[in-house]
Amino acid sequence: MAIKRIAGKIGGRAALLAPLAFIVVFLIAPLAFAFVMSFWKRVGFQVRPGFSLKAYASFIHGPQHVILYHSLWMAAAATLVSLVIAYAAAYLAAFRLRRSATRVILFMFAAPFFINYIIRDFAWTDLLGRNGPVNEALQWVGLIHEPLSWLMYSDFSVMLGLVASYMPFMVFPIWLALVGIDQRLVEAATMLGARPWKAFVMVTLPLSMPGVFAAVIFGFVGSFGADAVATVMGGTGYQLAGNTISSAMNILNYPLAAAISSVVVLSLLVLMGVWYAVFDIRTFLGRLVR
Amino acid sequence: MKNDLSLSRRELLLSTLLSGTAALTMTLPGVSRAASSQAAGTINLADIGVGNPGGNWSKYTAQSNWDVNLIAIGNAPSAVMNKLLAGGGRKTYDLINIVGGMLPPLVNNHLIEPIDTSKIPNWSKDSYISSYLSKGSPGYDFIAYQNTIYSVPTVLQGDAFAYLPEKTGKLSSYGALFDPKWKGYTALEDNYTTAGQKTAMYLKHHNLASINDPANMTPAEIKQVVDFLIKKKKEGQFRTLWSSFQQAVNLMTSKEVYVIDCWEPMVFAAKDKGVDWVYADPEEGYLLWAMAANLVKKPGVSAAERKAAYELLNFMLGGWYGAKITLLRGYMTNPHAVEYAKAHPNEFSAKEAQKIERITKDVKSKFDQGGSWQQRWPKHIDAYQQQWERFKAA
Repeated sequence: MAIKRIAGKIGGRAALLAPLAFIVVFLIAPLAFAFVMSFWKRVGFQVRPGFSLKAYASFIHGPQHVILYHSLWMAAAATLVSLVIAYAAAYLAAFRLRRSATRVILFMFAAPFFINYIIRDFAWTDLLGRNGPVNEALQWVGLIHEPLSWLMYSDFSVMLGLVASYMPFMVFPIWLALVGIDQRLVEAATMLGARPWKAFVMVTLPLSMPGVFAAVIFGFVGSFGADAVATVMGGTGYQLAGNTISSAMNILNYPLAAAISSVVVLSLLVLMGVWYAVFDIRTFLGRLVR
Repeated sequence: MKNDLSLSRRELLLSTLLSGTAALTMTLPGVSRAASSQAAGTINLADIGVGNPGGNWSKYTAQSNWDVNLIAIGNAPSAVMNKLLAGGGRKTYDLINIVGGMLPPLVNNHLIEPIDTSKIPNWSKDSYISSYLSKGSPGYDFIAYQNTIYSVPTVLQGDAFAYLPEKTGKLSSYGALFDPKWKGYTALEDNYTTAGQKTAMYLKHHNLASINDPANMTPAEIKQVVDFLIKKKKEGQFRTLWSSFQQAVNLMTSKEVYVIDCWEPMVFAAKDKGVDWVYADPEEGYLLWAMAANLVKKPGVSAAERKAAYELLNFMLGGWYGAKITLLRGYMTNPHAVEYAKAHPNEFSAKEAQKIERITKDVKSKFDQGGSWQQRWPKHIDAYQQQWERFKAA
């Protein structure tokens, strides 16, 4: 029996070690390697181990840091817009719709993932172009007299592309958090005299925050790393962080690409750190899970 | 210059077709086994899609008793270098057929070998080489580096820009891309070795900037070019930068732009969709380029394998291959192509032979007019990249 128990314990630990090893080998090690390489020297077309801050100097003094700030701003704005839409959709699905309708709504939010993201972005260019159906319809109903150029190849179109691409990812964690809330708490607030809006603000919203923050991470990370949306829907040379990493790779400047990637990862780690400090991930479903 | 969206230059027409055909051919057990059982061996030809004669290498196999295994590769300079440097390409490929203009990095990294032209009988018969790529001409650097021949030019073409005559009338200068009359209705390729070089040609031709060689600018010269582009960008001149074949064709067919810096096959694609774009004949000259087939410095390569690779290079300068590629891709190939197509009505219909002759004549006139040879890996490439990023971020 004792041997069995020990074997069971070892087996349990091994089972835990497997995913840990996977994370270390396939996620942490490549990131660590990229970070180390960001300090390496570029000699001709090769990179040589060493310690040089040249890549970071290029990043700080070159246009890349401007692109990074712009990416941060666009990703934050797109995440905020997506959050409002995703929360409303998740709330409706959790509390206001019949179960059959909820299934349909959730399926509809999953459907865009069946289509390749580049094809989705190209579809927007057809829809929103100067001669596209949206402009034609607006002209037909008399709202505008000439096509709106800013519908495509603009900040607006990039924002739309980012929201359309990553908002559906955000619906599911919020919906999960909302359906996990014990409705007796909301009922208690109502019985104590709180109006529906106040009950929502004081009870539902705080209890759904772990899901909201998970959604924010999904939306922000996706938007921040997006490159196809900027390439296909952005205006002249519209770039997000992902594009500038590709540009550095195109001239085999691996240290610069690694330096930009490291700064991007660091920025995201700061965000994740805030999440970790503020929310307990175990409350993701609205209740503490051991 | 391309990222992943980066259906990059001349991957254009047929990356998909190429990979599909190659993969299908190689994966059909009956086909590959039957072919390889009869052949002495297989030459691995890495190609960006332009050099594939519809998967049909039977004439080469009949001549040499060797098969060809065509491997699709990306055409971005970084993709080529990565494949050869780190991707194991040097151990696999016998030949690599890419858009030229990047000999310095290929030679300096010991990735390709010099070509012994005496082993290619069609070389000396190729009047395009003696006319457009001979020693002392600007095109020589496209096939040679430090006075040594490294590349066999299998396809030749001159790039310019296209316009929509129903909106613009006839245009004949790259200046149309920067003309305020078409403000907001022009687009450039997201590539400093094409759009950047064409802009430099325009500025130099009209004495708007002090540029010695648009193909290989100093950091100060490329900065002047980018300063000009940034000024135009801030004035709202450009609708967007395109970075894939389909993206450019969409801009053209939707009439989102009226003037576009692009490749000629895009005009063919737009015409196929019923939109009448015209490829311009710019007064500043063409951006000239060639597909360059290079012998890969493959470790442990046998003499027989090398001989077969040379035979393949010779075949690629021959009439049938040239005619087939001109017909399929719309580019000029070699002087034997037209004669071959006309002389073999059983292989090329009269209509096809006429098409091959027309395309050849068109491209020849571009080379006769001249221009600037595309430099895909300029000496100061880091400065180019930083400046182009500045343009995009402005």
